[in-house]
Amino acid sequence: MSAPSKVFKDGLWYNNPIFVQVLGICSTLAVTNNLRNTLIMVLGVTFATSMGSLTLSALRELIPRKVRMIVQVLVLSFYVIIIDIVLRAYQPAISKQLGPYVGLIITNCILMGRAEAFAASNPPGLAFLDGLANGLGYGWVLLVIAAIREFLGFGSLLGFKIVGDGFTPWTIMVMAPSAFFLLAIALWIANNHKAKAEAAKKTAAPGAPAGASGAPAPQKS
Amino acid sequence: MKLNRNSIIYAAVFTFVVCIVFVVILAIANQVTISRVNANKKIESQTAILKAFGLADGSTPASEIDSKYTQFITEKTVDKATAYIATIDGQPYIGIKLTMPGLWGPITAVLVTDPKGTVIRGFEVVDQQETPGLGGRISEPWFSAQFKGKQTLPDGTIAFAQGSGKGNLDPGNGTVDAITGASRTSDFVKALVNRELALARQIGGTL
Repeated sequence: MSAPSKVFKDGLWYNNPIFVQVLGICSTLAVTNNLRNTLIMVLGVTFATSMGSLTLSALRELIPRKVRMIVQVLVLSFYVIIIDIVLRAYQPAISKQLGPYVGLIITNCILMGRAEAFAASNPPGLAFLDGLANGLGYGWVLLVIAAIREFLGFGSLLGFKIVGDGFTPWTIMVMAPSAFFLLAIALWIANNHKAKAEAAKKTAAPGAPAGASGAPAPQKS
Repeated sequence: MKLNRNSIIYAAVFTFVVCIVFVVILAIANQVTISRVNANKKIESQTAILKAFGLADGSTPASEIDSKYTQFITEKTVDKATAYIATIDGQPYIGIKLTMPGLWGPITAVLVTDPKGTVIRGFEVVDQQETPGLGGRISEPWFSAQFKGKQTLPDGTIAFAQGSGKGNLDPGNGTVDAITGASRTSDFVKALVNRELALARQIGGTL
């Protein structure tokens, strides 16, 4: 597998920030009660983490080790503030609804995590891709959770009513506790699936080398 | 001369330069958008006030808000509170914008009434941080619609009570529906509405 596609698959699934790294959980719990806010949050995080990784990777030869964390925080918060400024000027309604959450993108551990784990030791192109993949990997999980919560909690998706007036909204779905349930269930399903896939690989592996000696060795995750 | 990247001086200078560069870019971005941001804030507040006066609704384009506002509304400051005064169809109305505590954060709302504070013309929440789907429903149109043309009770207040779930639209009973699952928010809004009514009467008496 070539490096870029591996980086991408890692971010989306094999090393998914939510399922495997268990990062960015605070925003997963906080902003997923309606799909529109989640979408903006996901775009914000994806932008900040990919651009931040790109910038930090480009500067990585210049950054002294002693102050690298300071520089990482500075660069990442720079992109977060840019997002905040743009939203306030051009999308005031969304900016108002998201309130403090935009500024809190900086506290999303995925940003610092990827900057430190990947961008600090990889070339800019790859680092950008890694940031993008992790943003999207974080994003699809959040969007799934948000879709379930908004549908059951408001009976709508992206603000459009889906079900009739007879539907009784599950109030708990728009409140914090449901995020915990749903995230836990999602983690459980994803890790179960992964465990099964690995078990299947192991049982298949002993027979394989005899017939296909040219097959690549199983990759270490 | 080869730079020693481990030296304290390099680290200090590097950090300094990086900070300057990024902060300058941010300052420029902020400066470029500041007038737009302020204009947005002004329009938002004016829209809420016009809505409470019944002079605008959700479909009124932003471009018309400012001209409508200057055409109809006069601002008057009495005892630190700002009152908004407008004459519609020959009748004077008085609007009060006030911020009071809510459940999670302050609630700001505009209430418009006749100068005697006996009939409410409109009520509009400008800003709130209540629980979405519960207390947050005070921003929904059905909630503010309950206040339209509502007569206050003999003691000059509005009561909040359990209702049918569709909003209490009877103008004569001085009562609006509280929100199920948001009793605290309902209490805070009740306090806010009644305080605004009292202020409106106080200022209305000086007109």
